[in-house]
Amino acid sequence: MDEGDRAVRNLTYHLFVDLGRAPTVADVAAAAGSTTAEVGASWHRLHDAHALVLQPDTTELRMANPFSAVATPYRVHADDRWWFANCAWDAFGICAALRVDGRIETTCAECADSIVCEVVDQRPDDGELLFHCLVPAARWWDDIVFT
Amino acid sequence: MRWVDGRAPGVTLPVGTLSRLAHLWWGDRLDPDWRPRTRDQNQALLESLGLMGDFWRLA
Repeated sequence: MDEGDRAVRNLTYHLFVDLGRAPTVADVAAAAGSTTAEVGASWHRLHDAHALVLQPDTTELRMANPFSAVATPYRVHADDRWWFANCAWDAFGICAALRVDGRIETTCAECADSIVCEVVDQRPDDGELLFHCLVPAARWWDDIVFT
Repeated sequence: MRWVDGRAPGVTLPVGTLSRLAHLWWGDRLDPDWRPRTRDQNQALLESLGLMGDFWRLA
């Protein structure tokens, strides 16, 4: 990853947090003083490097991990905002990235029961909960949305 | 488990371990000097939490 792509990646992440939503390619181009074509090309390289995830065949963000650009069953209240995470791992990751406590709301994938978990000082308040990881690590990026 | 839908069952982690993993894995994502970790750095991070064996071996 060259310095130009790293700068675009960092700007994309910071806009995501500042805006409270996924930035568009035009948002990033305007903030960078660049063109949408240049930012789009950078995003595709970053996607290939697993530094962010684009919607298939588009220049629209799907993930700036741990943040999700689309609604998911993993909602996180942190830093006075609600966010969507890509999975339970990423839900804790939003607290980690923002370096704040938070509240995770989701449902059990097995029984559909509601789950609420407060994260305080990096620790969940309910230590009885289990995280199920279905896909082996070597295959996480075969289909990151499914993973 | 119904939602596994016939796939290999995967693994479960206590949520406390998951939170520690998430804070190690994602804690640097908004750092101004963020740089991508190497595969070996990521593997070492998993191993630091005892996540070893075939399931946790990165590509």
